[in-house]
Amino acid sequence: MTTSETIWLLLCILAPAALGCATLWLPKRAIAARTLIALLGPVASFVILAQHLAAHGVSAPEAPAATPVIEWIPVLHLNLSFLADGLGGFFGLLVSGIGALIVLYARGYFGRDEAALFRFFPTLGFFTTAMMGIVLADYMLLTVLFWELTSISSFLLIGWDRDDRHAVKLAMQAFFTTGLGGMFLMGGVLMFGYATGGDGGLWRWSEVLSAGAGRIDVSDPLIVWSFILMLFGAATKSAQWPFHYWLPGAMAAPTPVSAFLHSATMVKAGVFLTGRMFPVFAALEWWSDLIIPLGAITMVAGATIALNQHDLKRIFAYTTVSQLGLLMCMYGLGSLEYHGHANIEWDITQIANHAFYKAPLFIIAGALGHYISRDITQLGGAIRKRPAMVITMLLAGYALAAGPGTISFQAKEFFLYAIYHAQESIGPWWMLLMAMAAVTAVCNVAIFVRLLTTLMGWPGGMKPAAAHGAHDEHDDHAHGHGEHEHGPWAHLIWIPGLALVLLQYVGGLAPGLWGQWFAPLESHAAEAIPTALHAFMHPTLPLYVSLACMAIGAAVGLSPLMRGAIVDMHDRIYPAMYWLAVTGGGRAFRTVQTGRFRHYIIFVLLAFLGAYVASMALDPEMLRWPAVESAFEFIPGVLLGVIICATAILMPIVQSRVVRVIILGSCGFSVVGMYLLYQAPDLALTQLMFEIISVILFVLVLRLLPDTKETDRASGRWWRFTLGTLTGVAIGWLTLVAAQSGAEPKLGEWFARHSYTGTEATDGRGGGGRNIVNVILVDFRGFDTLGEITVLSIAALGVFSLFPRRKPMPTQLEFEEQIAGGAAR
Amino acid sequence: MTISSPVLRNSMRLILPITLLYAMYAMLKGHHEPGGGFIGGMIFATAICTYRMSHGALAQLRLMPVHPRVLIFLGLGLALGTSVIPLLLGEPFLRSAVGEFHLPFSSHPFHYASAMAFDLGVMLVVVGVGVGMITQLSEELE
Repeated sequence: MTTSETIWLLLCILAPAALGCATLWLPKRAIAARTLIALLGPVASFVILAQHLAAHGVSAPEAPAATPVIEWIPVLHLNLSFLADGLGGFFGLLVSGIGALIVLYARGYFGRDEAALFRFFPTLGFFTTAMMGIVLADYMLLTVLFWELTSISSFLLIGWDRDDRHAVKLAMQAFFTTGLGGMFLMGGVLMFGYATGGDGGLWRWSEVLSAGAGRIDVSDPLIVWSFILMLFGAATKSAQWPFHYWLPGAMAAPTPVSAFLHSATMVKAGVFLTGRMFPVFAALEWWSDLIIPLGAITMVAGATIALNQHDLKRIFAYTTVSQLGLLMCMYGLGSLEYHGHANIEWDITQIANHAFYKAPLFIIAGALGHYISRDITQLGGAIRKRPAMVITMLLAGYALAAGPGTISFQAKEFFLYAIYHAQESIGPWWMLLMAMAAVTAVCNVAIFVRLLTTLMGWPGGMKPAAAHGAHDEHDDHAHGHGEHEHGPWAHLIWIPGLALVLLQYVGGLAPGLWGQWFAPLESHAAEAIPTALHAFMHPTLPLYVSLACMAIGAAVGLSPLMRGAIVDMHDRIYPAMYWLAVTGGGRAFRTVQTGRFRHYIIFVLLAFLGAYVASMALDPEMLRWPAVESAFEFIPGVLLGVIICATAILMPIVQSRVVRVIILGSCGFSVVGMYLLYQAPDLALTQLMFEIISVILFVLVLRLLPDTKETDRASGRWWRFTLGTLTGVAIGWLTLVAAQSGAEPKLGEWFARHSYTGTEATDGRGGGGRNIVNVILVDFRGFDTLGEITVLSIAALGVFSLFPRRKPMPTQLEFEEQIAGGAAR
Repeated sequence: MTISSPVLRNSMRLILPITLLYAMYAMLKGHHEPGGGFIGGMIFATAICTYRMSHGALAQLRLMPVHPRVLIFLGLGLALGTSVIPLLLGEPFLRSAVGEFHLPFSSHPFHYASAMAFDLGVMLVVVGVGVGMITQLSEELE
């Protein structure tokens, strides 16, 4: 492979964002062109990646072939190199393929809402790019970088409706949770690189995979911790219990987003990461001990909550949580050995299986919500109104139930087999796992049965219950744009869903064909996928379990049990934490943060005095009387010093604010004189201007301030007076002591030597200026100055926004008129 | 806040151009003589604000027909730009280029350092901040 391959894959990653942003230059009305260009992004990614995989083949898991490195920031072990192995390549194709379908679906979903499409395509492109980056990056830190970008873009997409406070809150919830996970992931990656040898350590996935267990000491606690940190990142992103709460909340996003991010791609990033880590960390004992329980609990919790929901999007959100748990659990079981080889089969098929039925379910849920309702109790007999959509949804729902004939059935069988085989290593615990998997399967079947009976209008379906009638607060507001569009787009909105769900049936009915497509991508595919018929001909325990689950599931689905909508208690986790930090818990915070300037100053001064006393205790030199010989010889200096001291003493005595400002000003001007006397013209000029401006500002601000209360002035006055005096004396003493330290070379001399020409210490480079003060400001300490002017600018912006203009800024025309009028006057 | 004093009004007409010129001088000369971007900016801002006091807000608007935040934006951009350009040339952040060139009709070489562009950015920011804060606050009073 040559460097050009790296560039091609970089283009493949950047294409969606670049073309998405390119649509911003189109006029708002050009919807067709906009859709076409936005569509081109993911399609280009798909084509480039497919071409890459076809040309170079899928590398073997033991010898991954990453593209050549283009250096970016070598010091940080962050360079451009991409790894399109089975896992990464598959995810890349999945993301770009579904991304293209979602662009089409979004066109149908948003209709002719020009403003929405204008904003949507660039944001979607941004997300697609971030996701492609995660799955193709070879440098681990590059993965982390894109990982955070998906958090940001997902935040933008969940909080799509900026006027809806609730949606914005949910977007923040998702952002904080996944962003926190990203921090942990970064910590894990850094720790891993450090543990494997720092600068010479393992920083690339390809190196990690090819080095294998040889270079990684699984007993090293640093490695164990880096694994736990990375797993935490994966668990938050993939909404594992107890962090699953953000995923149902993220349903505030428009449905194209939910279908793309929250079912097929972003939440799979955690599963992807687990898959990446699998060959490396599976040797750790912690792997199965942590991941199996985590995944199993998530799986059961998600499924049981999903059964008790009414909103279609929330039902599918919770089944997504459940399925993500199942995938994690699968990787957890994979580390256990069965007859000497890894207990994992066709893992990529498992991931593909979920994407191919869940995205269509969301797509149709959004479409139905558009035209009828998203509340399942309102959808009785919907097939008569929207037959194509309902049939697509039922086809996908059948796959959710893992019915024979879909690839989902075989995937479920593989999973059950993995549990069955695990009895070799985990003993009787396998029965508990099997029971948990069975409960999950029962719930999924029951959900399908309910969908079927309700949508077909058969007896036993869900009916609008008078009892609950609760307002659905998680409704997305994207379908509030008046009348619906009538036209080809509106009628074809279900096509992307159908295209995906058909793949399910290809896999189910012709597993050979599926195997041809997927076997090159799989790293664990010892046996061919059996057909459903084969499974029935050779029944084993897992098959009996799934058959029992189907029967029980159908019964549960038809029974009147568990039909009321419940609120997941986890919906309250994040609000509770938020409350603790801000409202309730904030009380403790607010006793320290009084918001009164005076209290802050007291804190600062006390801390300063404390540090001062401590340093004097440590270094008795500081207590010695400084030998000041020539202090009182220069009479003008003494006179100015007396004025400065007098004004300083007058400050607290005078009551009126205006007089205080004048006194402060005269103190400042005396200091200017002092600078002049001791030949510091730069300082004098600056101080002079500063005094003028600050006096003007003070006078302006004083008129805006409220009157001080009498009690405010009186209370604790002497105490504050003492504190102020002590601080003054301390600083004065410090200045004198500092002037004494003559032994070491002074910094000032160094600056003086280097300000115009350099010495050997600086490779003969100087600041090129004779004014030391200025050279310090713009050269030696240029970074500080840059920071200072930034702070100044922010302060000014603060003033601009604190006092907004009452009248709007004049337009150019009004402005010219005003000037003309002013001139005439 | 406007002070209607004929003395101030007329003397400002005289002082203002000299002050602005001196501000520019202090900025340009700052690398070798007392002065610099910060001081220059302060002098400039003080002059503009005093002019506003004597001649009113509209006159100030005519003298400086941009919102101060534009100056802040330009200044920060210039400072950041001059800091980043060395990076593109493979040098450390903020490294300043030093050299001399001859102006036409002059035998005296002109010594320059690219830090002066940075200094100009500082000046623009200081002018923007100073003028912006004072105008905003005095508008609040009016």
